[in-house]
Amino acid sequence: MRRQDAGWWLLILPAFLLMTAFYVAPIAQVLAISFTEPAPGLGNYERLFTSESVQRVIVTTLRICILTTAISLLLGYVLSYRIALAGAAAQRWWILAVLVPLWISVLVRAFAWVTLLRRQGLVNETLIATGIITEPLALVWNEFGIVVGMVHYMVPYAVLPMLASMREIDPRLLAAARGLGASRITIFAKIFLPLSMPGLLAAGVLVFIFSLGFYITPALLGGGKTLMVAEWIGLQILDLLRWGLGTMMATMLVVAILATLAIFARIVDLRRIFGGGGA
Amino acid sequence: MSAAGHALALRGLSKRYGSFTAVADVSLEVGQGEFLTLLGPSGSGKTTILMCIAGFVEPSEGAILLDGRDITALPPERRDFGMVFQGYALFPHMTVAENVAFPLRVRKMGAAEREAKVRAALDLVQLAAFAERRPSQLSGGQQQRVALARALVFEPALLLLDEPLSALDKKLRAELQDELKALHRRIGRTFVNVTHDQEEALSLSDRVAILNHGRLIQQGAPAELYEAPRTRFVADFLGKSNFLAGTVQEAFAGGFAIGAGATRVVTAAAAPPALGSRALLSLRPEKMALLAEGETAENTVQGVIAGWSYLGAGYALNVETPDFGTLRVTLPTWNAPIAPREGLAVRLGWRAAASVPVLDDLDQDRAA
Amino acid sequence: MMAHRPGWFARISAGVVALYLLLPISIIIPVSMTDQRFLSLPKQGLSLQHYVTVLFSPEWLGSIWQSFLIALAATGLAVVSGTLCAIGCWRLARRSTDLLRALMLLPIIIPSIVYAIGAYRYFAGLDLLDRFLGVALAHGVTGIPYVVITVSTALAAFDPRLEQAARGMGASLSQTLRWVILPRIMPGILSGGIFAFIHSWDELVIVLFIASRDVFTLPRRIWDGINENLDPAMAAVAVLLVVFTTGLLLLDLALRRRRAE
Repeated sequence: MRRQDAGWWLLILPAFLLMTAFYVAPIAQVLAISFTEPAPGLGNYERLFTSESVQRVIVTTLRICILTTAISLLLGYVLSYRIALAGAAAQRWWILAVLVPLWISVLVRAFAWVTLLRRQGLVNETLIATGIITEPLALVWNEFGIVVGMVHYMVPYAVLPMLASMREIDPRLLAAARGLGASRITIFAKIFLPLSMPGLLAAGVLVFIFSLGFYITPALLGGGKTLMVAEWIGLQILDLLRWGLGTMMATMLVVAILATLAIFARIVDLRRIFGGGGA
Repeated sequence: MSAAGHALALRGLSKRYGSFTAVADVSLEVGQGEFLTLLGPSGSGKTTILMCIAGFVEPSEGAILLDGRDITALPPERRDFGMVFQGYALFPHMTVAENVAFPLRVRKMGAAEREAKVRAALDLVQLAAFAERRPSQLSGGQQQRVALARALVFEPALLLLDEPLSALDKKLRAELQDELKALHRRIGRTFVNVTHDQEEALSLSDRVAILNHGRLIQQGAPAELYEAPRTRFVADFLGKSNFLAGTVQEAFAGGFAIGAGATRVVTAAAAPPALGSRALLSLRPEKMALLAEGETAENTVQGVIAGWSYLGAGYALNVETPDFGTLRVTLPTWNAPIAPREGLAVRLGWRAAASVPVLDDLDQDRAA
Repeated sequence: MMAHRPGWFARISAGVVALYLLLPISIIIPVSMTDQRFLSLPKQGLSLQHYVTVLFSPEWLGSIWQSFLIALAATGLAVVSGTLCAIGCWRLARRSTDLLRALMLLPIIIPSIVYAIGAYRYFAGLDLLDRFLGVALAHGVTGIPYVVITVSTALAAFDPRLEQAARGMGASLSQTLRWVILPRIMPGILSGGIFAFIHSWDELVIVLFIASRDVFTLPRRIWDGINENLDPAMAAVAVLLVVFTTGLLLLDLALRRRRAE
């Protein structure tokens, strides 16, 4: 270490100490507890193979996450495509339409969905009033409600990396292809889609790992019947006081997320996900 | 401003980045009030040396001395050197006056004294009228002068210039070269300049140090370097040169002769090399003349004009010779003895002293 | 050459997606102004009675005030430490600082639930449960990544020679920071501060675990409201939150535009 650099290292120190003492330490403790409580050893991890309820939570979580990721990518792609090809002034409005939901409290959004989807909600009331249905549909407090709410939360996150990579596509390429007689569909399939693939992959990774540990939306829109891991962990700790099992699942969650990132780090520039952009 | 130049010395300076050597064992003296230029192509280590002097880069080995005092370990903010950065590095959020006042503010100088010094510095570079502008509202040349004023306002022991003129267009560059030279004379401080522009180096400096691949190849007054380059690299980098390769055939007092094919060329040298060894001579294009019928010279060569161009002040000829390949020759237009034309047979002549023995690049490591 | 514009299919489907994003959020505005006593659209006319309920309820006001103070403290913590850290990493720029910066990003990669249960146990040992300081610390460290990202982005556009120039002219590290670096990256710092503030202001998962009675933030009160009694006052709170967040975002946008100029 160079003498002259000492001052700069000192600048990093407060954040490093805060992070270590109040973030890394609690999380390290979570990992430790999963091996020590109720008895030292791998007992908690055995439950992954023996306990049906543990397996059911994992399967449910993966199913919902994959579904959420797929739908969010599709909707996000459509939106990004539209934004990327819009004029400069229109783009600003579109981006605002994406950013505002992104930063609005997840609670507010879940609340809005409950208002819309519950039995006496606006959707059911409208459908009954117009005579399309006679009995209210079960739109919320089940897996359907969870996916609707989660996709709603994730679409903006999917748009940001996809839009960034679509903006790198040289618009002259598209105009040139058109000038050469390519149809809209050919241009999309042969030029636009392949060039936007890095953004699509990055968005997929981002949405998937965010979905894995999601707590509030599934808890509010799942109504306690469909459990995803985050809510399940909360339940183990707060209600059942099974620290070992809860921390084991939390550890698995972290491992799953880091593994996903490690696998995709080879093919996706992680900076696309966490770098520059800011918002 | 007081004329208090300081002397700088580099002793065996080296800088390595991993296995890459940016600067290799460079020793150099800069006298009081001297204008020294470090000249070299990009990647030659000249900027690294300047950054070592400024204190931004810590040398791997060697020492930096100011008036005999070792300052190698001193951080940049305690060295009291003025510096003009490449691209000037003016603070965009401050006015011209605030930029120039910065080094004084850092030194906690009183407001009245500070203002007087800033005004004097801006007067020095003739920018007093622009004190309240922002750097972005100035032209490139004006920005350069603000950078100079800022670097000089605190009367630094040494002024370091990193490619100070490279961002300017050719005409402005020539103008500011003259200004910079005049400024140096006026304030009598020690200047260390870095450039890749050989013309700038020749016109500005008291002394030039030529670097290549991190090594100091040769140093000396501009004329000395130009007239007596020690290596092929120096001859080639400073101006243009032809190279004549041959075997040493004869040695005599104050010179020797080489032969290539049927041609013999004599040169002046204090210590002639061994007979039969290979030798290389550098010959500047402007030091040859076209000989008229019957005219003689210490060296002559027959050739045919293979191509030519008109450059305004002169002609540039490519003369095909049997033993030395194509030689480039320049003639002043106003008294050219012939009208050049392709295929014309000519005889070239030059004095023995004009063909200077140089070391080939392969020998360069031994020379340095 | 004419620019390539989206076709009708892309236009329509993008419009539908945009409606899906915005409609549910906007629907709470008429719902909050309902004249009914239960969650519904206005029947006879618009009414502000539910806003009155919220704005005169000591519980809601108490939670809003508490959330505001916590967010302020957490933002201060995140902005100071995150900014300094980003500057240090930027200036040193080596493998080890890249790793440190990655460490600072962990809170947005690791799910809050994992940190929440960790903090629940860890803070108990430090007597920080259900304390203002505990929540502010937890929100502060988890807000650091937002600051580190925005400040790093701002620094990427900062000419490192300006720093060298300042040092070369004799400025100490703190003078260089105060007079040269900080003024230049201030918009990035403000941006990071806004995001760190919104992060704390909206944060619920951690609060659910490390706070219970004495610290009862706004999101915590909304959570209880959604789970227990769905009344129109909730919609009024939601609208106030949306207005507040959008205001902060527009402020950020204005700052960015100024930085661009």
